[in-house]
Amino acid sequence: MLSLRELQRHFGAALFDSAPEAIMPWICGDGLDVESRLLIYRNNLRQGFLKALALEFPVIQRLVGKDYFHQLALAFQANHPSRSGNLHHIGQQFPQFLVTLLGGTRYNYLSDVAALEWAYLVSMGGAEATPLDPSVLLKFSPDTFSELRFTFHPACQLVRSAYPVLRIWQVNQSEAAEAEIIDLDSGSDQILVRRGADEVELHRIPRGDFALLTALANEATLGAAFDAACGADPRFNVGEALCRAVGLGVLTQPRVSQRALS
Amino acid sequence: MSAGTVLAPHLSHPTRERPPTARKPRRAGIGLRAQHHLQLLEKRPPVEWLEVHSENYFGRDSAHRRVLEKIRAHYSLSLHGVGLSLGSTDPLRLEHLGELAELVRELEPTFVSEHLSWSCIDGRFTNDLLPLPYTEEALQHMVARVGQVQEFLKRQILIENVSSYLRYTCPQVPEWEFLAALVHYSGCGILLDVNNLYVSAMNHGFDACTYLARIQVSAVQEFHLAGHVSNRIGQHLIRIDSHGAHVSEAVWNLYRAAIRQFGARPALIEWDTAIPPLEVLIAEAEKADRVAEGLHAVAA
Repeated sequence: MLSLRELQRHFGAALFDSAPEAIMPWICGDGLDVESRLLIYRNNLRQGFLKALALEFPVIQRLVGKDYFHQLALAFQANHPSRSGNLHHIGQQFPQFLVTLLGGTRYNYLSDVAALEWAYLVSMGGAEATPLDPSVLLKFSPDTFSELRFTFHPACQLVRSAYPVLRIWQVNQSEAAEAEIIDLDSGSDQILVRRGADEVELHRIPRGDFALLTALANEATLGAAFDAACGADPRFNVGEALCRAVGLGVLTQPRVSQRALS
Repeated sequence: MSAGTVLAPHLSHPTRERPPTARKPRRAGIGLRAQHHLQLLEKRPPVEWLEVHSENYFGRDSAHRRVLEKIRAHYSLSLHGVGLSLGSTDPLRLEHLGELAELVRELEPTFVSEHLSWSCIDGRFTNDLLPLPYTEEALQHMVARVGQVQEFLKRQILIENVSSYLRYTCPQVPEWEFLAALVHYSGCGILLDVNNLYVSAMNHGFDACTYLARIQVSAVQEFHLAGHVSNRIGQHLIRIDSHGAHVSEAVWNLYRAAIRQFGARPALIEWDTAIPPLEVLIAEAEKADRVAEGLHAVAA
């Protein structure tokens, strides 16, 4: 007698690994060949995944067309099957999958568009946090400012691309939208994705701000982030950049490293 | 396995009953999908209750969750899970259960439901509702899992029968006997999906009315109604649960039989693919009410 676990493993092999041999003796034909019955479940598995991925990456689907998107989804699923009972997690690795698949080709920009679509979803689902109240900074002595670190708002995401991905994203928001030719060499983008009161917002931000926020998101001190920003933009003005960041609610609680306190 | 020793389908005593926190709806409701969020908030059509897929609203501060909280202020709500995979032999995902518990605490749903199925093995998820073999081992497994969830949520859950497209060869009991035993041993209720029952009965050649007659009347607390499609594979006709069409005439008839057996229960229209305008869903719910009222008139 097959245990429930073994039965589920055999079934899983038929669905995920195209290896139906072990489960076949355990399924009744009932007037139909067993493979056809298994195929119904394999189709469900594929169609469910495809549908969920298309909901997460509608712009990619519009850019490459439904047929190619279908192929991409199946290839992606073979390498990255769903690992959760919540289908909203399936696309996390999709931008990186596109880098691996299309990097170095003229479709290289698709992975950046996918990264923007994923950032949008993360922002939609991110936790709430109280944005930084600038007056809190007065509690810190000015000579410790460069040692400050900030918690990044969980619903804020940063996306950078060598391509004009924000424009690409905007003109592909609806099936009904007019086709527009976008020159892939017409500029790079540094984008902050944040959740506003009613909807997710996409802001193009200056190169220096992007470098500063990227460093802060990676838990760098304000001093190190400032150096990174100056490296990206020699005319970087930290005061103005912090004002913009505070205005957009990107930063939350400040904290000072132990070294600065001692 | 000998069916008689394991399963006790005819119970004279009621199983544990826990009253839901919210008042039970009297009229049919609809499955709420994100496409209709804004319309529902702005127009507030007269639907008595709504049911959502729990997983779509995980994440305490997510944008969808905020909308659902606003909707909850105006409508009764039920939480229908599709991802807990109760029948899987993989460990139950406590993170998933924790998210569900938080949602239950916040929204105080009328019903919390899941499925008589499994969907993951060794960490890979099909995100589909796969049939269980109706064996002693599977029963013990389901009883333990349902018990674990009910204990965690501190409330009763309803278990829904699924559509299936195959049967296993191992010695097993009929689904109704398995479900009745699950109710008996776990104290769960039943969400009877009339469309799923029709689909499985047609696919496997059993009598749906026998099914209705053999599950506990007091356990059945909610009905689901949805559309299905018929596919021909060679000479063989197989019904596939699609949730993408109007409720078929055969399923309306089975719904009438279910009401005769169990009395009126909150019914819900489900539609998940090719989702139509909200008005179509509401009209389908009104049709369910008319069917129920028609029977009542006959009975009176």
